[in-house]
Amino acid sequence: MRILESAPSRYDRGIRILTLGKLDKVYDRLVLRITSGQQVLDLGSGTGALALRAAQRGATGKGIEINPQMLAIARRRASELSLGQNVDFSEMGVAELDREKAESYNAVMSGLCFSELTEDELTYTLRQVERILKPGGLLLVADEVMPENIATRVFNWLIRLPLVVITYVITQTISHAVRDLPQKVKATGLSIEELRLNRMGNFLELVAVKPERRTR
Amino acid sequence: MSLLSYIMVNIISTLLRFLPLSSKTGLIRLGNPGRHSPVLLTANYVLTVSRVKRALTGMNAFLLVANSKGINVWCAATGGHLTAHEVISALKTTGIEQLVDHRKVILPQLAATGIEAAMVKEKSGWQVVWGPVYARDIPAFLRAGCQKTRDMRQVEFPWKQRLEMVVAWAFPISIIPGVVMVSFWPKAAAMLVSLVWSLYLLIFICFPVYSHWLSSKGKRVGFIFFDFGHGGLQLVLWGIAMVGLVIYSILTGDHSWAFLLRWAFISLVLVLVVSLDLMGSTPVYKSGLHEDRWLGIFLDEAKCRGVGFCEQVCPRNCYEMDLDRHKVILLGPGQCVQCGACIVQCPFDALYFRSPKGDIVSPETTRKFKLNLMGKRLVRVKDIDNS
Repeated sequence: MRILESAPSRYDRGIRILTLGKLDKVYDRLVLRITSGQQVLDLGSGTGALALRAAQRGATGKGIEINPQMLAIARRRASELSLGQNVDFSEMGVAELDREKAESYNAVMSGLCFSELTEDELTYTLRQVERILKPGGLLLVADEVMPENIATRVFNWLIRLPLVVITYVITQTISHAVRDLPQKVKATGLSIEELRLNRMGNFLELVAVKPERRTR
Repeated sequence: MSLLSYIMVNIISTLLRFLPLSSKTGLIRLGNPGRHSPVLLTANYVLTVSRVKRALTGMNAFLLVANSKGINVWCAATGGHLTAHEVISALKTTGIEQLVDHRKVILPQLAATGIEAAMVKEKSGWQVVWGPVYARDIPAFLRAGCQKTRDMRQVEFPWKQRLEMVVAWAFPISIIPGVVMVSFWPKAAAMLVSLVWSLYLLIFICFPVYSHWLSSKGKRVGFIFFDFGHGGLQLVLWGIAMVGLVIYSILTGDHSWAFLLRWAFISLVLVLVVSLDLMGSTPVYKSGLHEDRWLGIFLDEAKCRGVGFCEQVCPRNCYEMDLDRHKVILLGPGQCVQCGACIVQCPFDALYFRSPKGDIVSPETTRKFKLNLMGKRLVRVKDIDNS
């Protein structure tokens, strides 16, 4: 098969520019929550950044992504790391999560995926995540969020504008910072265990847990 | 929507045509739709949504606005921003499935370059019906029981659209040199800006006069004026003009550096302006920035079973159905704009692109690898099967 040159081959580079290189550290910190033998799902796995990190820690699972070129890159990276058996990268959107079995994952991860979803998709996804997580399972999120303070929001917009333009030209990706993500996560019945915002208040790391079933 | 805001949307998105402008995604009820009302889907470009809504005034229908990242239907579909996944998402996450009894979604024909109808059906159960190219034809299309006439399938470049392209190019292009000139040569600013506008006006209004030279057979005129990607002939011409300018200034005795630099700058700007991707801004030619335009469409008759999806989605009416033999006929490959819609939709892989050297671009490649900015389908990077 030929791998073709298009925007996805420049995705990693572009995203590093946009996040000023901080993303790798965030991902490294998030996957510390993953332990060997766990079953994980990576939403919008892109070039495999989170899914492959989890696999390196001994987890197995699946990365879903709608862009075939990104998938080709992720699969190539998986085989380079000899992790091809551990992660299954498949062309699938979040709207197909209803095909996943209930309570089948120890962790669902999402790096820069929620910010590319529509409101309807985000609501749908969170509901599905709650369904497919095992009790005690984790939702791990790293994403751009809208700062709560209006002044910060304006300042943030001004700083981001040139970065957004550069990233768009390189990767053709535009993300829309998510509004009120912690509230939305809570509304689906997950409880937030850890929440970390950067100084600008525009990048969020979130760990939420699906409560254990209460039995009498 | 009021007329005033419709006009405002049209003005703003014509001036800023090359920027994505997002409209809210989700489900819109037009009129008072019921359980058997048609379901239409479109891209979330502000101008697109407002024009579709306007075209459907007085009708009862559901309109799904899918997430195309604020880009229009054709560009989003061809660039990989409006694919089967966005359609499946809209069908499954907006709640439309609870509102209607049927499973038929009408998609804009120009989205056929990016949305694989077969995948939509397989993953959501919804059947795709290819609607007309232009929103204004939707009412007639619906009245005819979702049947398209030949005209409804055809993409043209009428004077109204050509004027829109004049504004779309001239406005952003004249701002930059305009601002620069005002600060260091104010006298020439107005002159330069009007030069830019009149050049564009001339280029696009005269389009029918020279357009037949731009066809795939005679690329020479296109090569000079419309194709910055190849050859850089414009820059050579500019260099010659500069030498002439130097000679002129020596002969007339006015060889001040300021004079030379100013004219060098102005003429370079104009050369770049004229030679930017004008071919790509017409809907009837492939962008000069993409190698795809050198590709030719090829029909493998043995594989064709005459289902006619190609005929339904071709924006240039290149196909005709031979009802006796139950095969499609490739009428005018010369009309082809290499959009690839027919290849993407053919369920039997009977159509594919061939490069001038005879390389075959597999239908799968055309489906999966989109033509976004700086993207190329023909580049061989690495043979990953062997790695």
